[in-house]
Amino acid sequence: MNSPIDDQENIVIRAERVSKYFPGVQALTDLNFAVSRGEVHALCGENGAGKSTLMKIIVREYQEDEGNVFIEDQNVKNMDIRDVQQLGLSLVYQDLNLVPMLTVAHNICLGQEPVTRLGTIDWKKMRFKAKEFLSEVSSQISVDVTVEELSISEQQLVAIARALTTRPRFLILDEPTARLDQHAIENLFSFLKNAKDSGLTVVYISHQLEEIYRICDRITVLRDGKKIITGSTKDIPQAELVKYMVGREIKQQVPKEIVPIGDVILSVNDLYPEKKGEDIGFDLKSGEILGIAGSIGAGKSEVARAIFGADRKKSGTISISGREVKIPNPVEAIAAGIALVPEERRAQGLVGRESVRKNITMVSLAKKFCAAKLWILQDKEKRAVKESIDKLRIATPSTEQEVGLLSGGTQQKVVVGKWLMGESDIYIFDEPTKGIDVGGKQEIYGLIVDLARQGAGIIFISNELLEVLSLCDRILVMYHGQIIKELLTQATSREELLFYVMGGRDYEKKTNNIRADH
Amino acid sequence: MKKKPTTLGQIINNYGTTFAFILAIIVFSIISKRFFSVENFQNILVQSTSLGICAFGLTLVLIAGEIDLSYGGLIGLVGAVLAGMLKQGYSPLFVSLVILAIGLTTGLLNAILIVGLKLPSFLASVAVMFLCMGTERVYNLGITTWIRDPQVLSIVQAYIGPVPAPVIYLFGIFVICYFLQTQTRMGQYVRALGENIDAVKEVGIRASLTKAAVFVVAAVLFTFAAYIETLRNGGATMFAGRQLLLYVLAASFLGMATFKAGKANFPGTLIGALFLYTITSGLAGLGIKYYLVPVVQGIILIIAVAISSARRGKIEQIQF
Repeated sequence: MNSPIDDQENIVIRAERVSKYFPGVQALTDLNFAVSRGEVHALCGENGAGKSTLMKIIVREYQEDEGNVFIEDQNVKNMDIRDVQQLGLSLVYQDLNLVPMLTVAHNICLGQEPVTRLGTIDWKKMRFKAKEFLSEVSSQISVDVTVEELSISEQQLVAIARALTTRPRFLILDEPTARLDQHAIENLFSFLKNAKDSGLTVVYISHQLEEIYRICDRITVLRDGKKIITGSTKDIPQAELVKYMVGREIKQQVPKEIVPIGDVILSVNDLYPEKKGEDIGFDLKSGEILGIAGSIGAGKSEVARAIFGADRKKSGTISISGREVKIPNPVEAIAAGIALVPEERRAQGLVGRESVRKNITMVSLAKKFCAAKLWILQDKEKRAVKESIDKLRIATPSTEQEVGLLSGGTQQKVVVGKWLMGESDIYIFDEPTKGIDVGGKQEIYGLIVDLARQGAGIIFISNELLEVLSLCDRILVMYHGQIIKELLTQATSREELLFYVMGGRDYEKKTNNIRADH
Repeated sequence: MKKKPTTLGQIINNYGTTFAFILAIIVFSIISKRFFSVENFQNILVQSTSLGICAFGLTLVLIAGEIDLSYGGLIGLVGAVLAGMLKQGYSPLFVSLVILAIGLTTGLLNAILIVGLKLPSFLASVAVMFLCMGTERVYNLGITTWIRDPQVLSIVQAYIGPVPAPVIYLFGIFVICYFLQTQTRMGQYVRALGENIDAVKEVGIRASLTKAAVFVVAAVLFTFAAYIETLRNGGATMFAGRQLLLYVLAASFLGMATFKAGKANFPGTLIGALFLYTITSGLAGLGIKYYLVPVVQGIILIIAVAISSARRGKIEQIQF
């Protein structure tokens, strides 16, 4: 431990013996955490480990119950968000807090709009300023459109650009790449590299091992609100890191399981979703896990939503077990045996103010837990929910806990539990592991394989190529709304998949060039 | 990037009330001879004044993502105090200061209840409305008080050229509100507050203070509307505010189907207010029984709200 970044003099953010208690949860316990000048410091831990809480204490959104936080030796005890901004600290939240109706320029400058001598907003200067910061991370977004018109990846970039407007010397990024597409991730990384060279200190919260090892100098692992270890990235191998995070050994990838594949159960022909997608056609067999890969905005979710009847279709037919079905809305889809675990769990999948129990049995209530379709068999419902909580290892104190109060990964498990309870034949998972910790991901993979083994057909939509490759039997690659390639997992490679995801054509011919670029 | 509104559907979505308004003027002008005259237009404008100014106050609160119905009681209370104190011989300036104080107090009370104690704005402001109504009755015992001082009445009866004074107030306040909301930081924060309060807090803007200010400013606008309304009626009758209660709400929601579909905005509210009285006046001119007018207004409101919420559904996506 003799690298210059361990030098005590150089510590710029320091949390000393910090504890934080929320009703029902000890979020942080006696935690020490230090970040040195000019490093990219990864903060790792499973969902609910306390990463976000710690960061929110540092930026003064929360007050610690015990302990002290120092920024460059200044105790921030009595400071607010604005004060620590002045000390040079900026945080990009996991929840993009943008104002949909305002323009990109205004969102970037929110809170620090340039004003004219009359005190009115100087729109011209604001556009100029926004462009300056946005160009750090993207060159393709217009500052004049409203944020509601942007894709989610673009919105994330706007949020990052906004964090830069205070010209921070310390930047905290909370899972910045979860919403970004491949191209934008590369841009962000090259920005971080340049910024680091000019003295920026970064705290980087991420669940992506690959990213952590690519850009971070040191790693701190949190578990259950306590610090487990801080060390140089070089000194902590990936397998070790994962072990520190979960506290139990888990395998990095799902062991490929051979599940017998049956007949075609879902057949999609000439589907044109109203929102995005052209000429979509594929078959799904029972027991098969079919991956749909593609960068964000490729139209993956739009296809899923169109099949499920959540969005309208311009044309196209859907057949289930050889029989053509009309699916104008989700109710019909559920009746036809299709389940969709949607991407934006908070907006689309859960009723946040309701209990875990009510959320889990929402789909299946009428079918399974009602007598004469009139009243709810509460004992039966409760028993089934308890079973489901145990099986999925949902971290909730009781069946009656309000879902909105659970951590992100736990919420996602509740959504999955909801659909499992419905006992469908076809499951569509849309980015089911987004923002979920390693252990949680493994459990969801396990569930999906279980479903396939029981004969369900699975469509698995993901932006993460590794998980698509390790889980799926077959992969459809989407690019700009079209399926441009079908790959058999056994006969493809990560490079080939990435090549098509990035919109390449004719992999075989160009392989040599690509190898040369690497 | 989305296209600019090009299809008919999109245009109706974005400018629905404006079209209906123009259409109504054309139709009434063709079928009723008395409708298309300077006097009638002056009349419509003057009648819309207190409604419009009060609706601007509500619009401000709606932009901030809350609702404030306290004007339903405040208008009556202000009217009663205004007429009562004038009758007792206090100077108009002093009386004006007193009612301004009443307005500020009501706004502060709303702010304390809704921002401070975090009560739901709908219920809290209805409670304040009842408080105001009760206070009004305690003050004047339900007796109508007339205002006879010609100097005071000239505030609403004067003309500047061919333009009645209230019309100047209406458009003056409109311009000020619109300018402040769209061109100043504070005004834009009010909009941001209504759209995503976390975004506003996160960048260090004092969200609660801004929201509290919104309720106070709205109450001042309500008070001014009450001032005009009382003088125009020539005195304080009981229940004066109650007639306006739903009209103001209607004007603001009609406004949501204008210019910025699904969002409260000042130009929309202005059109909404004028539209409501154009219909009242037009239907009256056609000799349609007065008791049928609310039916027509109800139908128009349903259409307007349908348009504005259809657009909102598109943004928020279906939940399942």
